[in-house]
Amino acid sequence: MEQTAFLTVEAARMIAKGVIALSMVGTAIGEGMVVAKALESIGRNPAETDSIFSKMIIGVAMCESTAIYALVMFFII
Amino acid sequence: MNFFQIKSEIPNVAPDIVFNFYGWPVSNSFLLSFLVTILFVFLVFYTKHALKKSYGSFLAVVEMFYEVLSTFLKKLGGSSAQAKLIFPISASIFAFVAVSNLISIIPGLSSFSYNGISIFRTPTADFNTTFGIALGMILIINAIALKDFGFVEYFSKFFQFKQVFLGFKSGIKDGLFAIINFGIGLLDIISELAKIISLSLRLFGNIYAGEVLIVVLFGALAFVAPTLWMSMSLLFGLVQAVVFSSLITVYYAQARKPDEG
Repeated sequence: MEQTAFLTVEAARMIAKGVIALSMVGTAIGEGMVVAKALESIGRNPAETDSIFSKMIIGVAMCESTAIYALVMFFII
Repeated sequence: MNFFQIKSEIPNVAPDIVFNFYGWPVSNSFLLSFLVTILFVFLVFYTKHALKKSYGSFLAVVEMFYEVLSTFLKKLGGSSAQAKLIFPISASIFAFVAVSNLISIIPGLSSFSYNGISIFRTPTADFNTTFGIALGMILIINAIALKDFGFVEYFSKFFQFKQVFLGFKSGIKDGLFAIINFGIGLLDIISELAKIISLSLRLFGNIYAGEVLIVVLFGALAFVAPTLWMSMSLLFGLVQAVVFSSLITVYYAQARKPDEG
């Protein structure tokens, strides 16, 4: 097939990269909720700060993982 | 403006092959992970020697690391007898992944080159390494669960024929719920595969994307911007090691039969 198409491969690749980058909005919202709840529970019970903080870090890393999948896809495409 | 930019090429997803060892290709990330392993073996023998001679400060540091890891991982690992079984594996994985993530900060490690390719590359920036570790861990956890539950009961977690039979015997509504649980049991097989993929991709994506971003930042502005990202990359390397080892411990604790008494 000749390359008189409306959309070349390079343009399609750029559009795909843009759509992949849009998917990280959900990660930001989710991580914000995790940190907000952690801060609220630290405020209610300051004696447990260390335990809550370490669990919050693990929760943030889990939320980050879908954004990392998107980042890997971005570099591979 | 070109004075402030250092351009180099973005590292490939697949590592470069440095040489062939009797037909097996040896990549540059494998060389560095081999060196990290040798470093740990040396540390083990030195600790044994230090325990006999009772050196002060070195043993204090080792005990500090052991104490922190032990209290953290044994809390996550279920009952204390079960946590004792997984602790050596989880702690070694933590140590290996943490050192591998942080070893790229040593300056000059990427300048050794042979035939034009650099012979060192961060071990965890290679999908082969992380996939190998994740696959090995999930296989070990399933093997331990197989030994715990016995052959028939382990497979009846995935193929819940007996529950369907019992459900229909006690009523139609229970039978329909049992059929839904049968579907969920089949999805559990896929969730084991998803565990492997998510564990390996999380670690690989963090470290590899960090390396690519460092190259891109050097190309944009080489004076202040890469420092910020390199310090964050240190923090992320440690956090990813913690998450990897604690996830392995949690998967292990979920797969064991709960202790009675």
